[in-house]
Amino acid sequence: MESFFTRYRNLIVLLTILMVQIIGLAVQVRRTNEGRSTIDARDPASVRLIRLWAEGLVAPPEKIAHSSKMGLGWMWQNYVDLRHVREENAQLQEQVDRLRLAQASLLEDARQGQRLQAMLDFQHRYIYSTLAAQAIGSSGNLQSHVFYLDKGSNAGLKPDMAVITADGIVGKVRDVFPSTAQVLMINDQTSGAGVILETTRIRGILTGNASGQLEIVGILADERIKPGEKVLTAGGDLVYPRGLPVGVVDKVVRDPDRDAFIDVMIKPFARLDRLDEVLVITNMQTRLSPQDQQDIATSEAVKGEEAEAIKDQLKASEIMAEHLPGLIDPTLPPDQQPMLDNSNPTPVAHPPQALHPDRFTPGVNAAATAGTSPAQSEPQPDASKPGAPSTTKPSVKTRSNPGAASPPAGTQRDQ
Amino acid sequence: MAVLGSTTYLEQRRYPKLLYVVAPLAALVLQAWLPRVVGQYAWFDLPLVITVYFALGRRSPVQGTIMGMIMGVFEDALTHRPIGINGIAKTVVGFLAASVGVRIAVENQTIRLLLNFLLSLLSSAIVVFVYRFLLGLDYQWQWFTELFSAIGNSLIAMVLFPVLDRLQIRD
Repeated sequence: MESFFTRYRNLIVLLTILMVQIIGLAVQVRRTNEGRSTIDARDPASVRLIRLWAEGLVAPPEKIAHSSKMGLGWMWQNYVDLRHVREENAQLQEQVDRLRLAQASLLEDARQGQRLQAMLDFQHRYIYSTLAAQAIGSSGNLQSHVFYLDKGSNAGLKPDMAVITADGIVGKVRDVFPSTAQVLMINDQTSGAGVILETTRIRGILTGNASGQLEIVGILADERIKPGEKVLTAGGDLVYPRGLPVGVVDKVVRDPDRDAFIDVMIKPFARLDRLDEVLVITNMQTRLSPQDQQDIATSEAVKGEEAEAIKDQLKASEIMAEHLPGLIDPTLPPDQQPMLDNSNPTPVAHPPQALHPDRFTPGVNAAATAGTSPAQSEPQPDASKPGAPSTTKPSVKTRSNPGAASPPAGTQRDQ
Repeated sequence: MAVLGSTTYLEQRRYPKLLYVVAPLAALVLQAWLPRVVGQYAWFDLPLVITVYFALGRRSPVQGTIMGMIMGVFEDALTHRPIGINGIAKTVVGFLAASVGVRIAVENQTIRLLLNFLLSLLSSAIVVFVYRFLLGLDYQWQWFTELFSAIGNSLIAMVLFPVLDRLQIRD
């Protein structure tokens, strides 16, 4: 017996280790009622322990590497790359002003929408608070689109919190450790988010494919869906708030498995392969956050000031108009305007008539004025030949009666 | 035929104990961190390269198997997928690499590259097999990604193996 184990030691070790891992896999995968295999969203305690060890081992060096990279980037941005900052600041300030005005003008529509929603007993959830976090590492596997944040449960993160950037949605928190958190990106094959096409209002489920591209699956073929249409979150999945930008339609392809269905390929707004800073939505409420309310109040105040300024300008122009003589009197009907009055001591001056009109005289050579080539406006050489049929020379006609000159080319074309 | 030799004559390489910890750890950390730098072009598997190197050098199937299992399990633990899929693949790879190392003198760089390439493809095939047939999960994969990964691993091995060779303990 001893010789058997000694002889086949290598093979026995291999088979034992393989068997342990296969049993471990069997614990993690279960069968659904439909007979399909699936992975539980939450890991068993033993599996979670292994993940915790791996993360505890890898995260500290990753944080150091990320800090070094960020430190170099910070030095570059704060000491070297400070050119054009003033211009950028001015442009941004202008942009903020414009956005404030836009926000204020949309406010009334939003309030009306809220009133209607309240009547329908529909409660919209607003982003109430967010937490900024840094992406420090990835899974290291091309088929597993997850990344790690430098904040975890100690900072208040919980599973299923939405992760976004200023450009669009990124994913959701899948697992939380004390000082790190794992985020499942929207382009993973196991990911899913409810989305809606902005113009056509077609709803679908956003997921990722094998190559990490985003696609909306399970949509009936519809010719209205065109590339370039914007895609937003639908808000029905209880993870992402409604109306967040996702991306634009890149192309529409036939579903390889089902004839009547199409897959809509999406180009994401957020740069999923180059994420550094993200925002985790830590709280959503049915009311706006104090910061948002303050922003809206500021926008309203700015809009009020702008309106006052426009009113002042109008008032000043009216005062100026009263003091200056004008050709148009707003109080008189059009046929009694001062400019039409012949008794006006200062009539409108007309240019004197040319003694020797040439092709540069206004109205003399309409063809030239209309942009035709000189060759076209010149008399035909055959006309001067003896015996040739007489042709009407436009210049002769024009000289005798400028008003009867051939009309502009455009007018001729219309006739 | 110079590459063929009996187990008796092929020496078992020895390395500083620290290297057995630092090299796998560095491979795991870099595998998790580098994709953030290179983006979608992360066509490499550093833990696999390290597994193959130590399995070939140590020429011990048991050690190769255990090392492959540890690397694979830790790699799985960093993903959101079930733990054990890469573990099984790298366990087999470690075992096979060590078994080949016992029978063949693998100091030749070309043989090492070829082994790396083939074992990378084998690892990918085992992963797909476990996903689709053993677990019955829906798993999409692209053959050219796996091919590029195998080529990437071979190129990394071409640079890394001579560096690690210099760190071995010589009598």
